[in-house]
Amino acid sequence: MTRKLFALLGLLMVVILVLGACAPAAPAPTEPPAPAAEEKESLGLSGALADMTWDEIVAAADGQEVNYWMWGGSDTINAWVNGWLADQLKEKYNITLNQVPVAGAPDFINQVLGEKEAGQDTDGAVDIMWINGENFRTMKKADLLYGPWAEQVPVSEYVNWDDPSVANDFGYLVEGYEVPYWKAQVVIGYDTAKLPEPPPTMEALIQWIKDHPGKFTYAAPPDFHGSVWVRMMCYYAAGGYEQFLGDFDQALFDEKFPACWELLNEIEPYLWRKGETYPETVAALRELFAQGEVWFEMGYAPGGVQARIAAGQYPETVRTFVFDEGTIANTNYTAIAYNSPHKAAAVVAASFMISPEAQYSALEILHQLPSLDTNLLPEEWREKFETYPFGPAVLPLDVLAAHRLPELQSGWLIAIEGAWRENVLEQ
Amino acid sequence: MIADWRERLRIPLMLMPAMVVILLLFLGGLIMGLMQSFEYMPVIGKNDFTVQAYVNIFTNRTFLRSLTLTCWIGFASTILSTILAIVCALVLRQGLPGKRFVTFVFQLNVPIPHIVGAISVMLLFTQSGLLARIAYLLGLISEPADFPALVYDRYAIGIILEYLWKTTPFTGVILLAVLQSIGEDYEDLARTLGANAWQRFRYVVLPLIMPGVLRSSVLVFAFTFGAFEVPYLLGQTFPTALPVLSYLFYHDVDLNARPEAMAMSMIIAGLITILILIYMKLTETYMRAD
Repeated sequence: MTRKLFALLGLLMVVILVLGACAPAAPAPTEPPAPAAEEKESLGLSGALADMTWDEIVAAADGQEVNYWMWGGSDTINAWVNGWLADQLKEKYNITLNQVPVAGAPDFINQVLGEKEAGQDTDGAVDIMWINGENFRTMKKADLLYGPWAEQVPVSEYVNWDDPSVANDFGYLVEGYEVPYWKAQVVIGYDTAKLPEPPPTMEALIQWIKDHPGKFTYAAPPDFHGSVWVRMMCYYAAGGYEQFLGDFDQALFDEKFPACWELLNEIEPYLWRKGETYPETVAALRELFAQGEVWFEMGYAPGGVQARIAAGQYPETVRTFVFDEGTIANTNYTAIAYNSPHKAAAVVAASFMISPEAQYSALEILHQLPSLDTNLLPEEWREKFETYPFGPAVLPLDVLAAHRLPELQSGWLIAIEGAWRENVLEQ
Repeated sequence: MIADWRERLRIPLMLMPAMVVILLLFLGGLIMGLMQSFEYMPVIGKNDFTVQAYVNIFTNRTFLRSLTLTCWIGFASTILSTILAIVCALVLRQGLPGKRFVTFVFQLNVPIPHIVGAISVMLLFTQSGLLARIAYLLGLISEPADFPALVYDRYAIGIILEYLWKTTPFTGVILLAVLQSIGEDYEDLARTLGANAWQRFRYVVLPLIMPGVLRSSVLVFAFTFGAFEVPYLLGQTFPTALPVLSYLFYHDVDLNARPEAMAMSMIIAGLITILILIYMKLTETYMRAD
């Protein structure tokens, strides 16, 4: 009896301890260092960085560590982030960049959301995030982002905030809650050693798929490469994208998209493994392409194939193309979590990522398209960007620019991903 | 008196570090999940308890297909690995040359994580994996698609292969210990009474090892039913094993899908709890019988 009593007592102590551990810790404000001698105008950022000038923010960032949560499915991008970018941030600002590779944005959304639920409002695990589209919308709507800050930082003078494809993220207003990072446009990779002339249009590709059973597949949505591929096929099947620009319209969706599911089901028997399964991620798709199981790969980075050739993942003979009618293009961004414990370093690091140096390095090493407007740059940088020699597997910038299709608002994306599962995958 | 106090406090105190971890991480997470499965999520403005998520998933064809697949994976892996383990244990019990070495190799994979096993299965058995490459070199197949689909396939062969690789030695090691503790006297007796090899196995050895077989297969089933990483890496896109489906729902951009993800996790947790109770009951019964 007494033994049980003591066991209970022990349990009680444990509960008390646990509750104690859960209770919100007293906030430990990271006091900014004393203002610099020269008084400059404060940037007017919100929250912890209010009333600070840029120099003060840079000073506060000194010695901080930022956790950068980003999609980690590309070895070349990971190497650049952990190499060039991390080195530069350390050298220029004494900021330690710690990459947290994730399979997709939901990983960090759940992390920040979980912290908010637990009342962890000041000391979150996420500082900066690579984000766009529906994920940005979800986070902004749930008040999980820090901001506005992006239009006030000095480097944003190189960003053209009047460009609708920058000021709107998949049709959702950015309002200074994220800063553009890279431009993305879908390009399709193929091996000239096997296929000298790629099909020029979606229509021709669909014919090719039927003529070559088992040699084509796409990553299963919600992988974002799979998702964009389904959208492009739906643009084709439903008679053009123009009608879908604007807010999500359930009636229009129900009327027009069955044609798309019909097309996708029609080609399914001709896909890799007869469409009984799909690669879960674009990384798996590229593995299949590298192994020769399928003959096309796809990517959102027009220079990705060149980078994968340089990394030895693909043979030298791989090239990229876009359809005559165009491929989907968008902008991706960097955002800061509302409970980031290192906001100063996060703002500085995110600003640096869109600086001409960083954008040029990413162009050079990763062939990522810059999101800053080269026309707003100082003369010497503008020239460097405009005369950049791309490798043979990268399409010229003007060809890409002439073949851009817009993204739809995220309401459409969510509906399409759900309907794809229901009407194609689960059929 | 004081010494007595100390003595009595000793056990709860020594248990405390482990209890803190279990209560905080396990029970805490479970309770949060349970609340969310009843759609109680104040952070996104849901303040009422409902069972809608459970109604939704039990009327959802995707969930039911995943449940069927998960049961298939669990039963197939458990039954096959148990049979294999019995065979292996009986063979390893014999005093064959090199027995110690073979027993060592047999147990080698016990500490290797499942995820490593899953990657190995992928490297070996996919249509562009090592076996497919060998088949290609031997001229047995002319392109990757000719190789049989053993991974990402509708019968979950890749997943079951991985579980066999990993759980057979687990069960085998337990049975080997049981066999050693039984000794060979009963069999010798049966032999002198004229029982043949099959009769000795069926009526002597099997009943003796049955408690061990049952206990280890309940554990194997509970694991293969609830594990995530192997079906995630080796499974088909649709239908997926339940833990993978729950993960997909959890990762839906629409936060409203979360209660359903949590409801699935609760169902998995509930089923496994029932299995653990069965396991405890079995252990108790046989211990009494002993």
